[in-house]
Amino acid sequence: MRKYLVRRAVYAAGTLLGVSLIIFVVLRILPGDPLVAILGVEGHARMSAADRVRIMADLGLSAPLPVQYGRWLVDIGAGRLGRSFFRGDTVSELILHRGPISAEIGVLALVISWLVGLPVGILSAFRPNSVPDGVARALSVLFIAIPGFWLGMLIVLALLFWFGYKAPIVIVHVWQDPWQNLQIVIGPAVVLGLAQGAYIARMSRSCLLEVIGDDFVRTARAKGLREGLVVFRHALPNALLPVITISGVLLGFVLGGSVAVEQAFGVPGLGRALVTAVIERDIIVVQNLVLLYASIFVIINVLVDLSYAWLDPRIRYG
Amino acid sequence: MSVERPSPPPANTVSRRTFLRTLGIAGGGVVVAPAFVRTPASAQETPSPLRPDPTAKRGGTLRYAVHNAPAHFDVHQSGTVANIGPQSPMYDTLLRRHPKDGQTIIPDLAWKWDIAPDGKKYTFHLRKGVKFHDGGDFTAEDVRATYERIARPPKGIVIPRTPLFSTVGDIVALDPHKIEFRLTEPRPRAFMLGAFASGWNIIVRKKTLDEHGGNLRQVMNYPGTGPFRHVSRKDKEIWIMERNPDYWNKGLPYIDRLEVYHMFPFSPELGSAFLSGKIDYARLMDPVSWRKAKEMPGATAANFNQSVIQAFWTNMNKKPLADPRVRRAIHLAMDRHALVEVVKDTAPMQVGGFVYPFHEFSTPRAELEKRLGYQADVTPAVQEARRLMREAGYGQGIKGLDFVVRDIATFKLWAVAIQAMLKEHINVETNLRVVQTSVWFDEAAAGNFDLAISAIVSTLMDPSDYFSAWYGKDGPQNYSRWTNPAFHDLANQIERELDDVKRKALVRKAEDILEQDPPLIPVAYEQIYDAWYNKVRGQNPSTYFGIYDVVRWDTVWIAPT
Repeated sequence: MRKYLVRRAVYAAGTLLGVSLIIFVVLRILPGDPLVAILGVEGHARMSAADRVRIMADLGLSAPLPVQYGRWLVDIGAGRLGRSFFRGDTVSELILHRGPISAEIGVLALVISWLVGLPVGILSAFRPNSVPDGVARALSVLFIAIPGFWLGMLIVLALLFWFGYKAPIVIVHVWQDPWQNLQIVIGPAVVLGLAQGAYIARMSRSCLLEVIGDDFVRTARAKGLREGLVVFRHALPNALLPVITISGVLLGFVLGGSVAVEQAFGVPGLGRALVTAVIERDIIVVQNLVLLYASIFVIINVLVDLSYAWLDPRIRYG
Repeated sequence: MSVERPSPPPANTVSRRTFLRTLGIAGGGVVVAPAFVRTPASAQETPSPLRPDPTAKRGGTLRYAVHNAPAHFDVHQSGTVANIGPQSPMYDTLLRRHPKDGQTIIPDLAWKWDIAPDGKKYTFHLRKGVKFHDGGDFTAEDVRATYERIARPPKGIVIPRTPLFSTVGDIVALDPHKIEFRLTEPRPRAFMLGAFASGWNIIVRKKTLDEHGGNLRQVMNYPGTGPFRHVSRKDKEIWIMERNPDYWNKGLPYIDRLEVYHMFPFSPELGSAFLSGKIDYARLMDPVSWRKAKEMPGATAANFNQSVIQAFWTNMNKKPLADPRVRRAIHLAMDRHALVEVVKDTAPMQVGGFVYPFHEFSTPRAELEKRLGYQADVTPAVQEARRLMREAGYGQGIKGLDFVVRDIATFKLWAVAIQAMLKEHINVETNLRVVQTSVWFDEAAAGNFDLAISAIVSTLMDPSDYFSAWYGKDGPQNYSRWTNPAFHDLANQIERELDDVKRKALVRKAEDILEQDPPLIPVAYEQIYDAWYNKVRGQNPSTYFGIYDVVRWDTVWIAPT
């Protein structure tokens, strides 16, 4: 197991190094001048060549690219994530302030996806081709198909025009005011959770359909066990493994999807900060946030792999 | 017999008459003295024309939403509302525009000014006893340091307003409260006073500039003398300020706390924050929310002119576009009323030509709309455009023009409409290329375009400000690389002409040249949509020009609900 862990850690580090290199290179070769955002349109138009040299040096952008990349890696190693080009705020502060909101959205979305997806999957699997199964399948396709940001905008508009309601417009952390905080995170979490719940429902349905045809389920029923026990004690645990795998992947989708959904709901989370940084070409913020998202994705995948061994005793890592 | 005369009272004794006279003078003196015992400067110092309104209610919080995530914090180096929107309430200027109308120039930190008869010397008398938020005294040295920086920025500092002060030579502090600007040649008074009253030219402390090597881009809270003081700021969320208890204009401001929320211009988020009552005052609302706000009981909505022209440039280095007849044909092929309509749910616009359509020097709107290119019925303009294209040898049209479009909703909508108008009216075919803002400016500066659509701003409504920047031979925003010696000569004359009547005539002449030989193709002029709940009193921006000069909130108060 220890050997396996070390191997996974090395792979993860390699993946992240590759990601960091790709982000770094892509952000530098993309066309567009970050000084437009810094100086504004009028200031940029009046900037002389000497001014440009001076400002680029101030921003640390005049050093050769390998040196800039090396400095970034050293900064990450030292736990410093640099400062925004613009206002001088540190990326660490940004993550500490906005990260909890995005993390809450991600965790809540995952919980909602299981709470909605699993019962629907079970119902569909045990009453295949019935009316509830048909409705459940139709709804899952619908939620998979609807873009989260569009659904988000509809919800925001409906709440505003029907009830004159809008969620708080500045960050309130859960430890500051849980009720205000819930109003901020619940909208994006529901939208993201429903979309992922649709995947969970479809996956759990197909896995359960496979499992309930197995001998051990037939045996359980033949022993006269109640249907509930057959489902929850015997069938479900054996059908959960693929669902857990897909949940790990889906959490990655939640992270990616949260960028657009936070924007739609106007939630000041990390996803929104990333969108703004991309628009502003604040490459220090973009590269650090993308690397953070990549790291989370890699860690989740490692955890999912490890959870297999715990859930299925037949699996052993060597 | 001798008669003893009464001897005169000794010098050190006081007669009844002397006593009464002295008493009278002393009594009168008690009444009159305060007028004379003050220092010579303060004896003349006049209070600000902005006097506290006795009926105004004090206290409370104003929740105001505007774009408040600037790329940096240096107001002088900025050209965006993201700076002036949140930072302006913390600073003062030498002169300012009256918040009542947004036009009249009134004293601010300078309580009086003198202009030499030859127009080459501007002397400002500064207020005494004004303190910066860090406790430092405000003196002429601060004004000198501020304006030296604006007029002659150090290396690595880029200030868009520098050209306004291109004729400023020496800036001399005559005494701690008197400063003189010596011009190398005179400029129209309205132009110079407008430049001094610009909201961008906030007075910063000399000590602050010295401490930061003249660069305030990353200094979030540098002291001003304004009516509000910085309290806290959360990036892209909220900037909180409190009333400055030591503000020099006693009795102002009225409100205790100013909360500036970050909301993007024209965003549905801003509209929804206002409509749901999360904010009291919304600046730069989208038209749909603004119309909704206008219908709301208990709310007021106003629109006013903005200092922005929306236009597209025609690259003079590309052969067909170098011909003024082709450019005039493109200009006439535009159905401007339709273009305003196309974006009516995205951003408020109005029809205009090459000079701000609401400026006293420009052709009046009624007259303008009778001209080809501005009429509601485009048939005569299109006929003339086709004739010009034939005359220029392009009767069959032009194919494959590269049309670079900034990735902003209005420009994308317009680009499609313009593409259709050019094709339908004069058979000019264009290929749209949508690019991010930063890429647009790279391409425009490098001349990698045939047509390119964007927007540019000016500080003043006065043509001399933007004639050189937009249409000048080496103007930084003359992306077309346009030249016209007759126009440039005229622009020089306009810049130097001190008589307003003559200037107006010259501007009209310049307009005629621009109509025949367009340096850019005007699309529309922007407007601003603001809305506020009626409890917010003391300000109505309906007559303002732009959102950069009057953003102090010192005369605003919150009425009890």
